[in-house]
Amino acid sequence: MSNILLIARRQVGAMREDRYFVFLLGLVAALGIVSVLAARHHAASEAEQRARYQAVVDRQWAEQPERHPHRVIHYGFLVFREEAPLAFFDPGVGAFAGTSLFLEGHRQNSASFGDARHATAMLSFGRLTPAAVLGLLLPLLIVAAGFASVSGEREKGTLPLILAQGATPARIMAGKALGIGAAAVVAALPIALVTAAFVAAGGGDQPAVARMLALAATYAAYLAGWVLLTVWVSSRSASSRAALARLVAIWVVLCVAAPRLGTSLANALHPMPSRAEFTAQVEEAQRQVGDSHNPDDPFFSALRDEYLARYQVASVEELPINWAGVVSREGEAATSRINEEQHQELLAVHRRQDRVMAWLGLLSPHLAARDLSMAAAGTGPEAVEAFRSQAEAHRYAIIQRLNDLHTHEIHYENDRAQRLARQHWTQFPVFRSDLPSLRRVLADRPLSLAALGLWIALPLAGLGLGRKRLPRVGVDRLSR
Amino acid sequence: MRAGQVKSSGATAWARLIRLELARVMRSGGVTVAAVLLLGLGIHAAWQGNRRIQAAEDAAAVAETAYRDQLAHLISRYPPTTEAGELLYYLALPASQPVSRLSALASGRTEVESANLRIRLLALEGQLYEQETLNPRLAAAGKLDLAFLLIALIPLFVIAVTYDIVSGERERGTWDMARLFARPRRLLAGKIGARVILVGGLVTALALAGAFLVEAPLIGASPTGIDGGGRAGWAAALVALHTLFWFALCLGVATRRRSSTANAMILVGAWVALTFLAPAVLSLANAVLHPVPEALELTVRQRQGYHEAWDLPPSVTMEDFYKDYPEWSDQTVPEDEFTWAWYYAMNHRGDQAARDASLAYRDVLTQRDEWARRWSLLVPPLATRLALDRLAATDLASQLAYQDAVRRYHERLKAHFLPILFAAAPIPQVDWERVPSFEPAAPAGQASQAGFPAATALVLASICVLLVARIRATRAPGRTEAARFGPTDRAGRRIPGGRR
Repeated sequence: MSNILLIARRQVGAMREDRYFVFLLGLVAALGIVSVLAARHHAASEAEQRARYQAVVDRQWAEQPERHPHRVIHYGFLVFREEAPLAFFDPGVGAFAGTSLFLEGHRQNSASFGDARHATAMLSFGRLTPAAVLGLLLPLLIVAAGFASVSGEREKGTLPLILAQGATPARIMAGKALGIGAAAVVAALPIALVTAAFVAAGGGDQPAVARMLALAATYAAYLAGWVLLTVWVSSRSASSRAALARLVAIWVVLCVAAPRLGTSLANALHPMPSRAEFTAQVEEAQRQVGDSHNPDDPFFSALRDEYLARYQVASVEELPINWAGVVSREGEAATSRINEEQHQELLAVHRRQDRVMAWLGLLSPHLAARDLSMAAAGTGPEAVEAFRSQAEAHRYAIIQRLNDLHTHEIHYENDRAQRLARQHWTQFPVFRSDLPSLRRVLADRPLSLAALGLWIALPLAGLGLGRKRLPRVGVDRLSR
Repeated sequence: MRAGQVKSSGATAWARLIRLELARVMRSGGVTVAAVLLLGLGIHAAWQGNRRIQAAEDAAAVAETAYRDQLAHLISRYPPTTEAGELLYYLALPASQPVSRLSALASGRTEVESANLRIRLLALEGQLYEQETLNPRLAAAGKLDLAFLLIALIPLFVIAVTYDIVSGERERGTWDMARLFARPRRLLAGKIGARVILVGGLVTALALAGAFLVEAPLIGASPTGIDGGGRAGWAAALVALHTLFWFALCLGVATRRRSSTANAMILVGAWVALTFLAPAVLSLANAVLHPVPEALELTVRQRQGYHEAWDLPPSVTMEDFYKDYPEWSDQTVPEDEFTWAWYYAMNHRGDQAARDASLAYRDVLTQRDEWARRWSLLVPPLATRLALDRLAATDLASQLAYQDAVRRYHERLKAHFLPILFAAAPIPQVDWERVPSFEPAAPAGQASQAGFPAATALVLASICVLLVARIRATRAPGRTEAARFGPTDRAGRRIPGGRR
């Protein structure tokens, strides 16, 4: 054990002497802090803005004058998507999902105004978020810290000395990993501390703490994999130069190329209909439903016969309820069902694309870690979909309640001229959306969890199997 | 005669040097693999780019067909006595912006924004900002277009073949031997020449594959139009200059007397700083300096402006309407009954209420675009990316130009239909074949306006890098043979008595 610590200390000493590395470490740590503060600032101002407009919209709803309920169906309701408390740490898909959603009768709108719409092409290079610093920059820092860890000893000729002093290859590599891990911890600590401080300041409730711990575990496992890989590659390389070249190439492939290639493959394998095509499809499907603005539309004639029979009257004028409201309600049910079906078809394409990405996560731990990170932060696609489906449920409930008011409070005679008193509007429920639970989103990601496990297991196995060969790697080349 | 011989033997020596170097670079592990991978990725990206163009063209055709179908359906459904205003409530007219061929190279915002809106005669502000049907998870993972490959990945390849251009020879101990055959300056020129040829060949192959796959009009394109004005030429020039910038940077770093590992760390660090950190920091600064509250503001205002009108006497709404359309102020609508003219005037009231917020929103986006363009000139990869997006008309400014074109179209539609609405004409009185069609936005600015600043910035950046390297090289002390050729540690310091 003391051997391991001695070697770890030796590695830390070597890193501290290296002015390039110390500079890089300071840079990454500083960037970490800047990224948390900036992301938090942005998230707070966004949240404040959405809360402000939500309050305005809520007030406007409650303060509506006397109105016909169908007028209110078109007046509709605006809801703003609230970001998860840890969205500042990992914004996930948030920038690409809309933030404001207009809920009205007859239609299912899509949310509009995501951050990405307001950004220039700068965004296509990536964003400076705490998650990006941990997921993209820290691996590179680990590579810089450890590429020469074993190969450097070999080049300097000190490896045989260390071995001669009784350290086994396994202990040497464990010590090296420990030393490099210490550097990674030092670089990641500022982000962790500032994030924890913000979570504590936000009330530190149990779900937020659990999510933070899940994030910490994700990045700890991901970065541990990088440390092990770095030691492994360094131990297998004859020269530090070769080790560095290999590690940088691995980083480029896993962190830069793989996610984008994944996007491209997913799009190629499961193409998505464009907005224009989707709208045309919905329109086409909706044509089967009659015009609910027209109480005499033939689409509703079966329904009319049913109502006339039930109330035993000869015409809709004689019904004790307002026939126009009934038609409106029935029309809403039919259009909502079709809209939802169409939307589910679109979501099915998303899910097929997501599967491609999840499988690719097995090859690129960066993808897997990002997937788990956004799940833990509550900013994954399921959070966006939860908002959409909850908003849709809210929309449907409100619209049908207005249709009921239309049916029971408005007379059929001279329908359009009537108004309902203002107090009706204050009795409507307020929209609340909930995040899917942490347990559920993690359980939905078996592939990503497996990928992260594999990411640690593979280099560990490589180190274990290759430990006997440690003294011999590159020996013939050096003696040449 | 003799001079010619010398010259030709010099040229042969050059060719041999370069051929030898090429063979050596290609033999070294990974370079060929990387080149083949990049080529494969590039062909995939170009093919995807071509598919994107086709999808956009299909979407435009679908929008047109859907409009025709909808019109036929509505006409068949309503009795001929129905007022045209009722049909126009539903009718959505296509406003499709054609895509440029170059958008296969630089896809820009095409995945986020819809360029095939369909516009109803209702309030416009609620219809302008429709998002494409993107999968947010894929969008967040980033995209692989040819521009990304050329701007982000090719520089890494340049680094991989040049970082040990001198230090590698020194560390292997072959520099002395190589110097016997040629002067160092000439040797270096030959080594760099070989690598420029290798990378140049790769980039050219990628560009040609892209051009072939998307049938880009490299030559002979019309001087105007979305692909005209030498846009492809500027794009090619920018990519070439950007690649040369990286050669300059690598040369500046790699010809100093550092170890190969120190060179590699510095160059990869520079790559991360220029292709990830600087854009991310600038993007963040841009967002903080130019916040966009107006996006939510205009949504709220438009909805309120329109719906309030239902609770006001029609004359109030009409007064507001006449302010923007004085030519119709002699027309009145009845106070006590519903008319379609009043209905569309109420919709116009929604747009009026949102106008300030909408203009402010547009201003902020314009500021963001201009700010990004200005500051990107300091960061070569970013300057190249923004310029390529602009040349391909897939940038923010082009999106705003499209929105303006849609606004103009909406106005033309209003001008066309207002007489019909005020006359309360029935559907058969409308000649649907004469309804105005959308006039696409012209490309934002000339090709040279997009390309020239970025090209200048790239040339200046390359010169700066080389100058700095030269100044530092002449200032560096102690150029003894031992200091030159002795082994160094990973930080580039000499190891006293270390093994060769």
